[in-house]
Amino acid sequence: MRLLLALFAAATWASEAEVQAILRSRCASCHASTNHFALDDPDPAKILAAVSGPKPRMPKAGPPLTNGEWAVIEAWARDARPKWWSFQPLRTSAGHGIDEFVRGTLQAKGIAPSKEADRRTLVRRLTFDLHGLPPTPAQIRAFLDDPAPGAYERLVDRLLAAPQYGERWARHWLDVIHYGESHGYDKDKPRLNAWPYRDYVIQSLNHDKPYALFVKEQIAGDVLYPESAEAKIATGFLAAGPWDFVGHQELKEGTFDKDNTRTLDRDDVVAQVMSTFTSVTAHCARCHDHKFDPIPQKDYYNLQAVFAGIDRADQPFDDDPAVYSRRRALLARKREVQRRLQPLLDQVERASNPEIVALDISIQDASLLITHMGTPKTPAEAEEKARLEARRIADRKRREEIVNTLIGAEVFAGTDRIKAEMAPIDAALAALPAPRLVYAGANFFQRAGNFRPPLEPRPVHVLARGNVRAAGEPAQAGALSVLRLPFSASDGASEGARRGSLAEWITHRENVLTWRSVVNRVWQYHFGTGLVESSNDFGRMGAKPSHPELLDWLALWFRDEARGSLKQLHRLIVTSATYRQSSAHREEAAKIDADNKLLWRMNRMRVDAEAVRDAMLLAAGKLDPAMGGPSVRMFLFKDDHSPVYDYAGFAPDSPGAYRRSIYRFIVRSVPDPFMDRLDCPDPSILTPKRSTTITAIQALALWNNAFVLRMAEHFAERVQGAPQPIELAYWHALGRPPSPGEANRHAAYVREHGLANFARVLFNANEFLFVD
Amino acid sequence: MRRRDLFFGTALAHTLSLDAAPHHPPRAKRVIQFFMSGAASQCDTFDYKPKLIQMAGRNWDPGEKVELFQSNPGVVMPSPWAWKQYGQCGKWVSDLFRHTAGHADEIAFIASMQSKSNIHGPATFMQNTGFILPGFPSAGAWVSYGLGRLSENLPEYVVLPDPRGMPPNGPANWGSGFLPAAHQATAIRAGTPAPIHDLHAATGYAHVTPASEKAGLGLLAEMNRAHLDSRAGDSRLEARIASYEMAARLQFSAPEVLELGGESKATRALYGVDDEITRDMGQRCLVGRRLLERGVRFVQIWSGADNGFPRRNWDSHENLAKDHGELATAIDKPIAGLIADLKARGLLDDTIVFWTTEFGRMPCSQGSKGRDHNPFGFTSWLAGGGIRGGVTYGATDEWSYKAIDKPVYCYDVHATLLHLLGLDHTRLTYRHNGIDRRLTDVHGAVLPEIIG
Repeated sequence: MRLLLALFAAATWASEAEVQAILRSRCASCHASTNHFALDDPDPAKILAAVSGPKPRMPKAGPPLTNGEWAVIEAWARDARPKWWSFQPLRTSAGHGIDEFVRGTLQAKGIAPSKEADRRTLVRRLTFDLHGLPPTPAQIRAFLDDPAPGAYERLVDRLLAAPQYGERWARHWLDVIHYGESHGYDKDKPRLNAWPYRDYVIQSLNHDKPYALFVKEQIAGDVLYPESAEAKIATGFLAAGPWDFVGHQELKEGTFDKDNTRTLDRDDVVAQVMSTFTSVTAHCARCHDHKFDPIPQKDYYNLQAVFAGIDRADQPFDDDPAVYSRRRALLARKREVQRRLQPLLDQVERASNPEIVALDISIQDASLLITHMGTPKTPAEAEEKARLEARRIADRKRREEIVNTLIGAEVFAGTDRIKAEMAPIDAALAALPAPRLVYAGANFFQRAGNFRPPLEPRPVHVLARGNVRAAGEPAQAGALSVLRLPFSASDGASEGARRGSLAEWITHRENVLTWRSVVNRVWQYHFGTGLVESSNDFGRMGAKPSHPELLDWLALWFRDEARGSLKQLHRLIVTSATYRQSSAHREEAAKIDADNKLLWRMNRMRVDAEAVRDAMLLAAGKLDPAMGGPSVRMFLFKDDHSPVYDYAGFAPDSPGAYRRSIYRFIVRSVPDPFMDRLDCPDPSILTPKRSTTITAIQALALWNNAFVLRMAEHFAERVQGAPQPIELAYWHALGRPPSPGEANRHAAYVREHGLANFARVLFNANEFLFVD
Repeated sequence: MRRRDLFFGTALAHTLSLDAAPHHPPRAKRVIQFFMSGAASQCDTFDYKPKLIQMAGRNWDPGEKVELFQSNPGVVMPSPWAWKQYGQCGKWVSDLFRHTAGHADEIAFIASMQSKSNIHGPATFMQNTGFILPGFPSAGAWVSYGLGRLSENLPEYVVLPDPRGMPPNGPANWGSGFLPAAHQATAIRAGTPAPIHDLHAATGYAHVTPASEKAGLGLLAEMNRAHLDSRAGDSRLEARIASYEMAARLQFSAPEVLELGGESKATRALYGVDDEITRDMGQRCLVGRRLLERGVRFVQIWSGADNGFPRRNWDSHENLAKDHGELATAIDKPIAGLIADLKARGLLDDTIVFWTTEFGRMPCSQGSKGRDHNPFGFTSWLAGGGIRGGVTYGATDEWSYKAIDKPVYCYDVHATLLHLLGLDHTRLTYRHNGIDRRLTDVHGAVLPEIIG
């Protein structure tokens, strides 16, 4: 009976009022006065279990629930979200500002907030925070000397309007998405066309692009905004991570390792997309259902299916919209023709018989020996090489003859026919002005070795234990089922429709993960720690929010009031009294909250690797403010099987060396040792938050590296002629004048050892490297 | 157990504290690992199969479709080297490693190794980090994280790359992944003008003099202390002051470690330091011993660079006899010398010598003279601290093609290594992006058969 009813009930929908009415009338008479369960926060699954079955346990007093009542409870339980905080709807609350929430929590613990930091501290804090640079002496003085009300707010607005803001905050974004400019692994080839994406991020932030649009462009800009070259560049996001050159380009089709390479490549994209935008560890469900969060393994593979039709490759675009439009039309036709041509080419490529196998072995043998020999060193070697080359030519000719006999003439005729269709398309493409390129998510590109475009989404299956040899049921493009949000792409949808649907799903108004995730990230970079400490993990293995009401309030405010404006969010945060607090230690508060989770003071922060380098350049008077363009190779480069990246040999005054650190060319396999020692993260890992270490090796880098020593010399030259060189150096490096005692002692050192050595000391000072 | 996951704890632990507590009493204190980059062949070194000699030149048919990395399977190819039995245990070893084989009774050979990838990059990551993806901490980094320092003056984890160049994946092989950067290896390029990056002031900066350095560090300490005085309660600021003191000790200690002039003639001969062919590896092995003696936890020495041409690593697709021959000749005597020297100095009892590669090679030929990749069976070996010598664990089939008896992945070897160092591989964890990560992922079992 219940089973039958359940079939009907499955179509029903329970309103909150209906549920409440049943709980009140059938449960409250007993439970309102007990602790068995909280009627104001009931657990639907538990209640359903209690009222179900042939002999329901509940209600104890009175008859069982009517079928109608039961169906309401059943529908309610079925639709209920898990009880975990991050899946709950965003809650509005009575509070209406950051400081109200923070102070309310502090008050409850009996902690008073700290007083506001002095102006000198504030301008240094704010400039490092929003620009990743120290303020110049002129900027400090202008702020100190501005007596009018609103001086701080004007400073905030000026900093947010300056282009250095985008350069600073883009670097945070690039950490989160593990952006790198070489492939990683063996054969770590440089990606010469990754940088347009980096510039896209900088420009999007500087233009204060609404967050939802920023997200959509990066996942599916080419699909949702096909006319826009900018949106195409945005899909560089999908190609940000590492890529196994050998697995993709050298391995044969149809092998285990080839399939595994592709599966892991999609895994990298899924992990990046879901961690970045929703702070959920969907990638934990690759081998089994998520152990802690409501993410079945099927959801994970549905997400893989979203990206089953793309690879990572250089993609053309044009600044001229008309040319770009024409190019896209031609490429679409080319792709369609290629789709018909490929099966015929495959027939020829895969043709085989014992003689072909033997010839292949012989051809390969010759190739191996020729390669291994390199340039012949003796006449005998030269003769041997010539013999091998002649044999290889003969073998190849013979092979072609056999293939021609094996493959029917109609295949060759068909190939010729389709190739004839391709020719005018290729000619038209060649007639267009040369395109620009961006390394991006790509569903069509020129074949290179065994790396060829998918043409159709590749089939994706649920893999038992993540093993490509244990393929189970097929996956359909989709997202996390737990949120019950629409995912528009239907079964068998095109490649583009899949990504477009995911972009819409992530930016849906009701996607509570998305809105919480972004405001938490922004908060983290301002304060050093997020309201949720684990900014990539809002699940059960992550941290719970320190200020849950504030987090929800911010998310709603950002979504509805600020309409996704990151600049407004920054402004809201940095103008709060909470942000403006002094970072000074207070023993009585530390006794209650040693880690400052409740924000009774501001956190003192170590300047990160890029900002250290940029601050030295700025102090030395060398910082080149040029924006954008190809990345600067701050190493000596030698292309090879595995290219050589030599940082030690790079002179600190080389062309481009004075550019901001965000324009460094970022190599995966060989990190810049100087930046590495300052905790610049491995670009192969998603880094939601950098670690901050303090080591002897780091001290050695700051003390001895050629860059530091050279900048110290430039710094010395810059202040040399000033009437008070030590005072000026203090202003540039530390943003304050020295005390009389400091000035005296340092003058003695400068007399003895010169200004360059003094600059070296300043660059190593804790006061230079920490922001109060 | 989660170790030092607090921010300040990490900062301080690595400047101030020594020797964190292990999980259980350790059998070994330190490790020296040899990595054969490019995949050293098992069936030409430690995995003796008479069948390859018997069936030489015949078509190879292991009874199933063989999926090779580059090629179609060629004919059965016996090793170009002769095989002999060594030691009490009677282990068969080819002439390639005749010196190392002299220590067969000290060595546990794991003949049933497997890899989850047959591509160099991912497979090299796997043997180093337990994962075929980039971004994970290497075994040495985990040991550093789990055990801390033995020395006040030297880093806990040192790598000596092959002077011919970087292996596939580059320094990412000895990186700290998501562990704090303090746990990554310090690379020492022995025999070059600046063996440790930035150990001393870069050359060509005239303003730097010994006097300016000394006085400058004094001034810096003074400034940092004054800065700290008004900023109580921030241990990072103290840690930075301490880090310069430690840096000074490192500057003093490191050149001493690399200076081999004081080693006796007999020792130099033992390592082959004065023979052109073995000089490089001999020097690196000797530096390795000196590092271990002075408290470095984990030393990793590479044989072979990347997989390019002319061949400079073990990836002998084309001409195995030539390439494996040259590589092995250059390292066999030095490695054997190191084992003998460690033993003579009483260090072998608590030092693990660990020899590995990313995968094996096929028993059939590739072309006429080479061998293709074989992820299904290869050999690693361990000797020293807590290891039972003279055993061969597991076995490949009659062809040396697939591990069939007690097959293992690196997980079990890593678990055993950590176990001997006093660490439970299931408890040595670090939370990253929602997962309590381990060196052994969700796998691994200690191999009691190779423990003495």
